[in-house]
Amino acid sequence: MEKKGGFIEWLDRRLAITAVWRIMMSEYYLPKNINFLWSFGVLTMLVFAILVVSGIFLLMYYKPDAKLAFDSVNKTIMMDVAFGWVFRHTHAVAASIMFLVLYIHIARGMYYGSYKAPREVVWITGFLLFVLMSATAFTGYLLPWGQMSYWAAQTITTLFEKIPFIGPDLVIWIRGNYIVADATLTRFFALHVVFLPLLLIVVTAIHLYAVRIVGSNNEDGIPMTKEEKKVKGIPFWPVFMAKEYFVMSVFLLFFFYLVFFNYDFAMDPINFQPANILQTPPHIYPEWYFLAYYEVLRGFFFSQNLGLIAFVASMFIILFMPWLDKSPIVSGKHRPLYKIAFWVFILDFLFLTILGKLPPTGLFAWLGFVGSIVFFLFFAALPIISKIEKSQVERAGR
Amino acid sequence: MADDKMSRRDFLLYAMGGWAAVGVAGVLYAMYKTWEPLPDVKAQATTKFDLSKVKPGQLKVISWRGKPVFILHKTPDMKKCDNRTIAGEYTVVLGICTHLGCIPNWEADKKIWHCPCHGGEYNACGVNIFGPPPRPLEIPPFKLEGKTIVIGEEGPEYKKLMGQA
Amino acid sequence: MKELKILAVIVILVLIGYLGIEPLAHGIMHKHVEEAIKKYNLPDFKFSDLDPLPSGITGNAEAGKQAVQQFCVSCHSLKKEGINAPMPPQAAAQSFGVVPPDLSNIGGILDKKYLYNFLKNPQKATENPKFAMPALGLSDQQIMDIIAYLKSIAKKDMNGEDVVKEGCVRCHSIKYQKISALSPPDTMKKYLGKVPPDLSVIYKAKGEEYLNAFINKPQAIIPGTGMPRVGLSQEAQEKAIAYLDRISDPHKEQRQKVGLIVLGYLLVMVGLTFAWKKKIWRNIH
Repeated sequence: MEKKGGFIEWLDRRLAITAVWRIMMSEYYLPKNINFLWSFGVLTMLVFAILVVSGIFLLMYYKPDAKLAFDSVNKTIMMDVAFGWVFRHTHAVAASIMFLVLYIHIARGMYYGSYKAPREVVWITGFLLFVLMSATAFTGYLLPWGQMSYWAAQTITTLFEKIPFIGPDLVIWIRGNYIVADATLTRFFALHVVFLPLLLIVVTAIHLYAVRIVGSNNEDGIPMTKEEKKVKGIPFWPVFMAKEYFVMSVFLLFFFYLVFFNYDFAMDPINFQPANILQTPPHIYPEWYFLAYYEVLRGFFFSQNLGLIAFVASMFIILFMPWLDKSPIVSGKHRPLYKIAFWVFILDFLFLTILGKLPPTGLFAWLGFVGSIVFFLFFAALPIISKIEKSQVERAGR
Repeated sequence: MADDKMSRRDFLLYAMGGWAAVGVAGVLYAMYKTWEPLPDVKAQATTKFDLSKVKPGQLKVISWRGKPVFILHKTPDMKKCDNRTIAGEYTVVLGICTHLGCIPNWEADKKIWHCPCHGGEYNACGVNIFGPPPRPLEIPPFKLEGKTIVIGEEGPEYKKLMGQA
Repeated sequence: MKELKILAVIVILVLIGYLGIEPLAHGIMHKHVEEAIKKYNLPDFKFSDLDPLPSGITGNAEAGKQAVQQFCVSCHSLKKEGINAPMPPQAAAQSFGVVPPDLSNIGGILDKKYLYNFLKNPQKATENPKFAMPALGLSDQQIMDIIAYLKSIAKKDMNGEDVVKEGCVRCHSIKYQKISALSPPDTMKKYLGKVPPDLSVIYKAKGEEYLNAFINKPQAIIPGTGMPRVGLSQEAQEKAIAYLDRISDPHKEQRQKVGLIVLGYLLVMVGLTFAWKKKIWRNIH
């Protein structure tokens, strides 16, 4: 961004682009002790961009009508439009991979204590982004109007029925019909292609702004002033981005391998049968990224209401991590107790994800219950762990 | 530290940028292709029609690629024009006024086409005889298979006709 | 090194998740299909549960022609011999539930042993007690004659599309190929309990293993299904499934070609970005 002559200077005087460039890129310093996990934030933006671009091209042939939707996807886009299949596969795989990248991004934040003060706003906006992305994925999943699309939407909207007093009316209001029907499809379509992406962009902007203010965390959780970083850190451009480009191209290699050669995991076979309002498929399950929460819902198999409360809690409890964990030590790297709890939680999440797809009978039902309890035990343990650590730090300080 | 390096021409950076541009070009090509007409639209590229179904003096309007094509079986009292007559006795023209694209109406009593938009007139050969149209009605590419006309493909008869005009 | 370790942890966790969600869950959820396949050794093109062909009887195509004229054409058409259906398709569907198939090429797609058993006892051979065709009480000799005749007139070298049109399209539509079922949906619904599914992308929904087993012995996979055992010969069934695969995924070749180009492109990109990263980071420690 060196001044190349008239035009740049002209623009600079009006938009202060060099100043912006300095603040955002060349003089935005990051700590040096960060690993490639810090690249996953940029990866989510990359996947989001892929989703938007491929989505726009799907939008040109997709027909949001219960009678036409299935064929517009499976015939027009997949068979007739030149390269239409690329855009569909890319969109489906990107939606799935978005959650893998998000989960790694979130887990990195949890492990290195990136949710702790002063980064609470980063954490809250990040959580909001996760919820919005989940809503986008859920509404988008209905659009192909296959059997799985339809019955996933039918069962998940039915959950709202359990809300006291207003539940039954609320479900009908959400669906615009007594069952998931054409009205549901068109409103989900509007949410999926306009409303939710717009919100995502706005919240992303706040998320990034907040990171630029408080600065990135680092492996050791050492707070650094801007001046310290200038001396010890690396600038976002070109140093951090040089690594970022490498991580991005490796990621894209993996991503497009999935798009062209292993896309099945993102496109459920059952969804290649058109929605049939009179026949539920023998097994219904959400996409893999919701399986853990789904398993918490089913885990309390003896009480439907308890399951529902646990389900909602499991999604929102992570928001409160900055206040559950008040330990003075930031990074999990230096917290042996927390480290154990963290890995138990990660393995439990994986365990719940796998269980979520299995039929909830016999042993599986009990395993699901145990897994759900462990899920919440992690969050219950946080205040205890931080209390122990606080006293350790105080003793060491004395 | 890296600043002095960046001011120099950084071959790697340019190579990377160039290679990225190749990728973007590839994506743009795929996007470009998605806007092409779909196979079932392309399938309408030609229209077949049996000329013998039109009685002498009668006009039939058929659709080719969504546009009207006039097929007029001429009678001896109509304007003669060898360079615009197909299969000896038919006028086959695109029914779109060469002025601003309206569809002219056949006036059987006067044996002319009259355009409702700006009053342009064409004789039975499709040649403009009055008003703003700059040139005669266009003859679509065609091929003859006996008495059947295939509109949308250039046959020898079409090329001959175009050579005369 | 440390970063490679982190990567290894991520890869292992993702692989455990993937294997757990995909193959493991698939195996548990589709247990009954796999069990049925094992139990009956599907696809069973020997039709082991049916009676063997009568020994010592050879069919005579000439006599078979007579027998077909006598027993079959009161319901079936035989267009190859210029025999049209006795009833218009609508009326036939009204009385039988489905349109009786034309017999011109049926000998080319059905297994011989199956056909023998079918003509003996249609309900048993199809494993469908509601199957519309009655047993005709033919002798073994008559049946073998008819089979010889039907085999002799059937089109040779039928391709997958031919097989599907002869064997499936009586009940199933293939919308994306602009093929609609010969029998009207409402009569089929009455006869079979539901309108048979469209076959346009059925291969993607069900997969090869399932289709191979299901077409061969429907009752083993979905007990009580309205689909009769059709008795396709091994050759015919393989062609039919290959056809269903092709029409459900017409861009397979293009996808593989474009995929390799894209991956090659990205490999070069990985190399370039790696070199640049090395260069920028050389002085940073």
